Amino acid sequence: MDSASMQPVLLFLQSLISGILVGGVYALIGIGLTIIFGVMRIINFAHGDIMMIGMYLTFNLFNLFGIDPFASVLICIPLMFLFGGLLQKLFVNRVLNALPQNQILLTIGLGLIMSNTVMLIYTSDYKILTTSYSSGSFKFMGISISEPLAISFIITAVITGLLYWFLMKTDMGQAIRATAQDRQAAQLMGIDVRRMSIISFGLGAALAGTAGALISPTYYIFPQIGSTFTLKAFVITVLGGMGSVIGATLGGILIGIAESLGAVYISSGWKEVLVYMIFLLVLLFKPSGLLGKSRV
Amino acid sequence: MSMISEALVILRSIKPAGLLVFLAVLISLAAFPLVVESPYAHHIMILIFLSVIMGQSWNILGGYTGQYSVGHAAYFGTGAYTTMMLMQYQQVPPWFGMFAGAATAIAMALIIGSICFRLRGPYFVLASIAAAEILRLSALNTKELTNGAEGILATDIPPLKIGSLVVTDFLTKVPFYYTALVFALLIIAVTCIVQHSKLGFYFQAIREDQDAAHSLGINLNLHKNLSLAISAAFTSLAGSFYAVYIGFIDPTTVLSMDMSVQIVLICIIGGIGTIMGPVVGSLVLVPLSEALRSNLITQGLISAGLVSEESPVGAFLKENLAHAHVLIYGILVVVVILYMPEGVLGFVRNMVRARERSNS
Repeated sequence: MDSASMQPVLLFLQSLISGILVGGVYALIGIGLTIIFGVMRIINFAHGDIMMIGMYLTFNLFNLFGIDPFASVLICIPLMFLFGGLLQKLFVNRVLNALPQNQILLTIGLGLIMSNTVMLIYTSDYKILTTSYSSGSFKFMGISISEPLAISFIITAVITGLLYWFLMKTDMGQAIRATAQDRQAAQLMGIDVRRMSIISFGLGAALAGTAGALISPTYYIFPQIGSTFTLKAFVITVLGGMGSVIGATLGGILIGIAESLGAVYISSGWKEVLVYMIFLLVLLFKPSGLLGKSRV
Repeated sequence: MSMISEALVILRSIKPAGLLVFLAVLISLAAFPLVVESPYAHHIMILIFLSVIMGQSWNILGGYTGQYSVGHAAYFGTGAYTTMMLMQYQQVPPWFGMFAGAATAIAMALIIGSICFRLRGPYFVLASIAAAEILRLSALNTKELTNGAEGILATDIPPLKIGSLVVTDFLTKVPFYYTALVFALLIIAVTCIVQHSKLGFYFQAIREDQDAAHSLGINLNLHKNLSLAISAAFTSLAGSFYAVYIGFIDPTTVLSMDMSVQIVLICIIGGIGTIMGPVVGSLVLVPLSEALRSNLITQGLISAGLVSEESPVGAFLKENLAHAHVLIYGILVVVVILYMPEGVLGFVRNMVRARERSNS
């Protein structure tokens, strides 16, 4: 894409749209983190690494069985749900009442184990998943849109919609929201809080894994990719408000746009610096509105 | 005056038996390079000292003041880059450069601290990570200053001279050994002084309950920043030493989140908020991760007959286990958090106490 020769308005719209498309996937990662935080008050530092597991799962499904990365979402969701539930049952459950720093360190440790185990099996080489449409794009009103990004955005929108319906309309969704609002009160109302915790961590992992599957055609796949995305997920959830699903959706899209505009108007090397600057500024100047009452 | 009386308090608290053990350890550490000649043994000892410096520096902020910074790579990297850039581009010898590095790290700490200390708990952790990441990305992007992703390679270290007398030319590992030993002892001494001083009591009060400490008239911002400044200065010394000793730095090694996490884990695994914690942590972590890195564990499994060298498993382990020495950090920290929340040191202490109780 020769951006220098483009008209300024078109260039702006172009980067805005690609920002929104990427932001959709960011939103998925952020929603996963925010559900886990909402229900258990635990910040999951292994979130990006769980996403990385989803990427490798998709990569293997594609290479071994020829399953299209977008179709593999259907396999990714249940498998990653089980993986997350297992993590919660075996490890995270045991530190629910521990000091917050110990919870953070436990998830950091789990993340290190995941990334290093994957590195043991697949080495730290960069892997590429190339599909027929990986570099495809189509024109829409003079703006060129990347095909894999557009498809992944549509899938993201469907999943987010389903998730929202699940949380708002089903009994289990309401039980999860009740647990997030007040754990003890929920327990008194007869909600199995432990089960809700396992389901929430499973959901969070499934969303992260799905995001991994969706970005695998457009990103390099390597074991250490997780930490960048963990950090991005924090930025997104803090921006939207910890524990808020709508906030995380909005935060994801905003960060996608900020990165895309930053890459075009500043430079692609500095775009992430911009994101972290926004993060620090939000933490400093908008803490009450975005972070809940007395948590800061 | 207060310094002297504080020193007296420390001296009085030392038991004679403990002092004897300490002196014996000190003498054997000082004599070690004279007795053992293997450069590899020197290398392992140097790594242990370096790890002690890193863990103990973090301990002052994380262990005593209760501020869990997961962005200490910022100070490690600042030290490493300042010293290395001064040495390679301005011909400033590293033993001057490292003080410039420490000064820069303190300045950096004051900037980062003024932002991050407005936040508490998990939000402080997140902000400290973001600050370190901004620094890493800046180092990656200012290619004309830091040589970007390619990093900086040290050509040679100028010999250390006093007048015309050459003290050392840094050709063997021995001068590095003594430098690292002195730094490690220095930071342990500083931690001792801090622990027993009024300043240290303020730090610990902040760790136990910020709001209570504040209501007793302790200036939270001032003391958190002081703690961070001490911590950052020594972390940067570790970084400077690392840069000169290894001879190569780049943003993904000295400024990465992995480095920050490693610094925290040394302290957590050993035992947080104790003087011996980072020492124990280093003694556990460094030999283990070096054994993995140098394929000792695979060799052991093969020679013990557990795994055949020709079998696919043996070949696989031999090929890959060396690359995964960080795995041990992950496994250890999970085990420590779940089963020994007070670290290895606290776990051993509790075991000894339980045995004494059952004996009496």
